[in-house]
Amino acid sequence: MKNFAKIGITLALIASIAAAALAFINSVTAPRIAAYDAMVVEMTLKEVAHDYAIGDKRTIDDDGTVTAVHPLTDSEGATAGYILSLTGNGYGGPFTMMASYLADGTVVDARLLTNSETPGLGKKAENPSYMEKFQGTGNDNPVPQKKDELSKEDADAVGGSTITFTGVSKTLAYGSAYVKELGGK
Amino acid sequence: MASGKINILSRGLLKENPVFILMLGLCPTLGVTTQVINALGMGAGVIFVLVFSNIFVSLLKDIIPGSVRIPSYIVIIAAFVTIVEMMMHAFAPSIYSSLGIFLPLIVVNCIILGRAEAFANKNSIVDSFLDAIGMGVGFTLALLLIALIREVFGSGTITLFAMGSFDGVIEIPILYTYPVRVLTLAAGALLLMGYLKGFFEWYSKRKRG
Repeated sequence: MKNFAKIGITLALIASIAAAALAFINSVTAPRIAAYDAMVVEMTLKEVAHDYAIGDKRTIDDDGTVTAVHPLTDSEGATAGYILSLTGNGYGGPFTMMASYLADGTVVDARLLTNSETPGLGKKAENPSYMEKFQGTGNDNPVPQKKDELSKEDADAVGGSTITFTGVSKTLAYGSAYVKELGGK
Repeated sequence: MASGKINILSRGLLKENPVFILMLGLCPTLGVTTQVINALGMGAGVIFVLVFSNIFVSLLKDIIPGSVRIPSYIVIIAAFVTIVEMMMHAFAPSIYSSLGIFLPLIVVNCIILGRAEAFANKNSIVDSFLDAIGMGVGFTLALLLIALIREVFGSGTITLFAMGSFDGVIEIPILYTYPVRVLTLAAGALLLMGYLKGFFEWYSKRKRG
């Protein structure tokens, strides 16, 4: 019994010292991590907003894909479109992205954020140029969802990472439909 | 005596290289070696965790009761891995995000638990420290070798730290346009690992005579 208590106390002691050390390190690094994450969101918002002004964020809880909406206003203060924070599924698991739309559902720009795609293949979707093929689609021109709806160069660019491409395009198309339903509100 | 210490330090580099000879920690080895920078980040993380876990295991070897030694080692290792994870997230976020799941998985990296169980709990603090440095550097060099081959031939680039106007990516002319894609994938990693293992097998056999 005595031996049993000794073993338990030793293990508990080691664990609590480890926990205390971690708590200290966390207090040092947590503000930096939070600041970095906020900076990434801020930068991406500015990039996808192009020339529009960004309004206040609204968090969306009841939608599986759309997690937040930022309204976009033009120089006269009228609502021109929205930036959506989206989640989707790629080859390596779930990803998050941010996409801006005009009020009629046209894609203005998009960025892939956190993801687990394959480096050298699906990871290419992180490049801003990857999203160029979606720009201007979503209204009269549907968002391309299959490789054969793309031009030859664009189809080559997504070759080897079709699942990433379909994941991104499905999410973008969903966002476009979502924006149309918002109807400029 | 001095040669014994040097032997502890140097055997991790080649004679008992954790990746090529002991075949330990292969999962992160194959997982992170798509870019040189990832190999460096992973190597630095493993060296840090290995050094501190070896020192602490050696320090506490008389205090930790034998029946709960493995849980105790895991707590010690997990604590240092979490420290590395938080530090990298705060100070090197791009490496943090590209290492992904492999960073927290250092906890169960068999090199670290293996050295704690096989070496640090029987030897002095100084010897355990030297062993950790040798094994850690050996692991890092192995990662670097695999990552260099995979990135140069698989993507035609060498990704290092971004400094000033240099964005950290060196492009290799012909290979950048016509890369051997399979090397960036898991299958290519296994193929390459097999060839390298074969080479080191041949090398160590030849050396023994």
